[in-house]
Amino acid sequence: MRWHKRLLAAGAVAAVTLTAAACAGGKVRGAADSTPQPGSSASAADSTFVYVPNLDVVTDWDPASSYSNEIIAMENIYESLTRYNPQTKKAEPRLATSWTTSSDGKKWTFTLREGVKFHTGKPVDAAAAKAAIERTIKEGKGAAYIWGAVKKIKAKDPTTLEFTLKYPAPLDLIASAGYASYIYDTTAASGDLNKWFNEGHDAGSGPYTIDSWQKGQETELTLKAFDDYWGGWNGPHYKKVAYRVTPELTTAWQLLQRGEVSFVQRLNAQLFAQAAGTDTVQTSQTPSFQNLLVLFNTAGGPLKDVRLRQALQKAIDYDGLLAAMKGSGVAASGLVPEGLLGSVSGMTPKQDLAGAEALLKEAGYGPGGKQLELTLTYAQGDSDQELLVTLLSSALDKLNVKLQAKPLQWTTQWDQGKSKDPSKRQDIFVMYWFPDYADAYSWFINVFHSEKDVQFNLSYLKNDAIDKEIDELPALTATDPAAAEKAYADLQNKIINEQAAVAVPYVQNYQRAYAKSVEGYVDNPAYPNVVFVYDLKPGA
Amino acid sequence: MPRYLIRRLGQALLVVAGVIVLTFAVMRLVPGDPAVAYAGPKATAAELAEARRRFGLDDPLPVQLWNYVRDLLHGDWGISLHTRQPVRDDLFQAFPASLELVGAALIIAVAAGIPLGVAAARYKGRLPDLSVRLSSMLAVSVPVFWLALALQTVFASGLGWFPVAGEYDASLDRTSPLHLYTNITAVDALITGNWPILTSTLSHLVLPALVIAAYPAGVVAQMTRAALIEESSRDHARLERALGFGETAVLTRFALRPALNPVLSLIALVFAYSIVNGFLVEAVFNWPGLGRYAADSIRSLDTPAIAGVTLLVAVLYVVANLAVDLLQGVVDPRVRAR
Repeated sequence: MRWHKRLLAAGAVAAVTLTAAACAGGKVRGAADSTPQPGSSASAADSTFVYVPNLDVVTDWDPASSYSNEIIAMENIYESLTRYNPQTKKAEPRLATSWTTSSDGKKWTFTLREGVKFHTGKPVDAAAAKAAIERTIKEGKGAAYIWGAVKKIKAKDPTTLEFTLKYPAPLDLIASAGYASYIYDTTAASGDLNKWFNEGHDAGSGPYTIDSWQKGQETELTLKAFDDYWGGWNGPHYKKVAYRVTPELTTAWQLLQRGEVSFVQRLNAQLFAQAAGTDTVQTSQTPSFQNLLVLFNTAGGPLKDVRLRQALQKAIDYDGLLAAMKGSGVAASGLVPEGLLGSVSGMTPKQDLAGAEALLKEAGYGPGGKQLELTLTYAQGDSDQELLVTLLSSALDKLNVKLQAKPLQWTTQWDQGKSKDPSKRQDIFVMYWFPDYADAYSWFINVFHSEKDVQFNLSYLKNDAIDKEIDELPALTATDPAAAEKAYADLQNKIINEQAAVAVPYVQNYQRAYAKSVEGYVDNPAYPNVVFVYDLKPGA
Repeated sequence: MPRYLIRRLGQALLVVAGVIVLTFAVMRLVPGDPAVAYAGPKATAAELAEARRRFGLDDPLPVQLWNYVRDLLHGDWGISLHTRQPVRDDLFQAFPASLELVGAALIIAVAAGIPLGVAAARYKGRLPDLSVRLSSMLAVSVPVFWLALALQTVFASGLGWFPVAGEYDASLDRTSPLHLYTNITAVDALITGNWPILTSTLSHLVLPALVIAAYPAGVVAQMTRAALIEESSRDHARLERALGFGETAVLTRFALRPALNPVLSLIALVFAYSIVNGFLVEAVFNWPGLGRYAADSIRSLDTPAIAGVTLLVAVLYVVANLAVDLLQGVVDPRVRAR
């Protein structure tokens, strides 16, 4: 062999050796037991539910700070005291079987389910629940702020957990949150608990426990049944859950069509229509708790004039937008999406160009008057927002309003919106909003309550009467839901109709596609993208 | 030779240094606050301050650059804002899968490209030559994303001949756990005699590797054809013909070996190109390589991860170029004298 060829061969060997040296470790991928594939010859009772998410599943395994896409797995591993039911608009029993509240809404007593065990084998009792919530509060990360009202937690006996609050709050709803509400075994690790969790361990009490976690692999995560689950394993249940990350929607659809996976989190409009017409596949559509907000600058610039804001509300082509979205959005009625306490009917907006023109004329603008120039910022890469902007620009053009729309990355858009110099802020800010737990209060306290330093009040609304009403909402929700419902309706009228601080073009719609064999699937918008796999029945 | 080696190494290091400065500048110039990307949009002021402190974002820019270079030299490529893991670990996890895919693609490209080039040269101006030129032009110009979707739809979803996506059947992790030595699944399965995973990986490799192989196969075929035609018009070829060797023998026994030198150099360069070209293919076939990692990083504006991928790819290009130059220097003394 000539020596330059030897050099080439040596180079190739060195490359492989270097890779081996860098990546090796003699680790083993997988574990020695058997996992049947969906649609395989394995019995239904042993079958695997294969979930296809578009993004990586796990960013943070610590139940105290987890605040990302891992919710789709965490809700199957961990349990909270309660779980929200969007049909009844109430929290329902989970680890707590019942609860009571004092008349002033500041004392809550939860009775815990007996005989529940953590995956570590230790019992789930009031002391353990207290320790978990206190650790989450102490860590102060992710959505831990949801416990902000809690002053003291007391484990009165093994099944009685008592909360004393600083101010009245609907603790049953808070305890049902998708993040930061998990009850877990704080004694699971002898050393650093956060490190232990993030090595891929869990300490929940839910129906499934972590089987394997392989970051970066296609099947990133698999869960297996927890034998001692309090609900038991009688009857048909999926015994395993696999999360197969598939960013490409066409690939996800082909996997579902071939029967290789059970559930696809998201498809585009065209593929969803195809799925709806496929015999081996089922589809479902459920309005989410996430809506699009078009926030008008009430504090500075031309939109300080309420007539102009009202004109803009009327200029939006709501129906045209929904038609173009082909099912990925549904009409909004007010600020609060359906399924939450505070949602109202009869507030669905309609385009009214004549009304918009009249209001513009009244303010000295419109066709034949001065040209109105406005700036708008929206999320780069979001096709639905892009559609809204295109339709709005075209409608405003006819009304002699020039819209300068800028697509921006969220952090840039947000930084500009929060600018301390009001002259640098935009006239219109487009963003999505969703609550961290099933309570409409989230929209009002975060987006429409006045702020000293702007965070999310990007319409810059500052109205003492509205602030006062918002501040009363938690107590009303905790003690008098009917009065809370009224207060929410009144606030929405003030913010949308009187102040015209916002327009709500649509609520996002969840469009799921799943195998015909999956029985019992119900989408719960309080837990975005979560499939509660234990509740499903594997069919034939 | 040592002077030539030192000169080329120095140039390569300069390029890498330039890329490091560039990636740092891009990380800092990209609009948006990395602290917000790490701590989340609803983070408190204290959480944002902690994130800024952790990433040294309050330091002056020159200090940040110095820290970045120092950390790189110590093997610290930063923490991913998205996965929250060290970027170096993420890259070591993802790169072997890309290496496996591109390696398989290059084997296909060479195995198909060289014989096609020989056939085209042998029948120059006739139907086989025209077919090879047309198909190689198509292979070079067709967008990989389109080709990936087309092959997947027809051969995986439609005919069911190959799997739709993935690196291998994940259920084998339970029945046939794989011992990892190189992190390259096919290589580890071969070394350890794990036939179920090896056969599953090979069947999953076929379609994505074919798609990535299209471009290098086209280029190799064209290059081989051109080099062979040039070589077969030299004096030695005339002598070989005069001695009674047929046209095929002249091409394959005498002209092919010298003609392959530029082809080998080309393959080294195409390797680095194919790593990047494969990003979209990895996305379509769910291949757990650098492409998916890069796409996730871009989507979440994960600047340390984006910089890590950029730096790795740049280093691959530099190393491939350096290897080619050194190889040419070894083979051809005139190159060293330049």
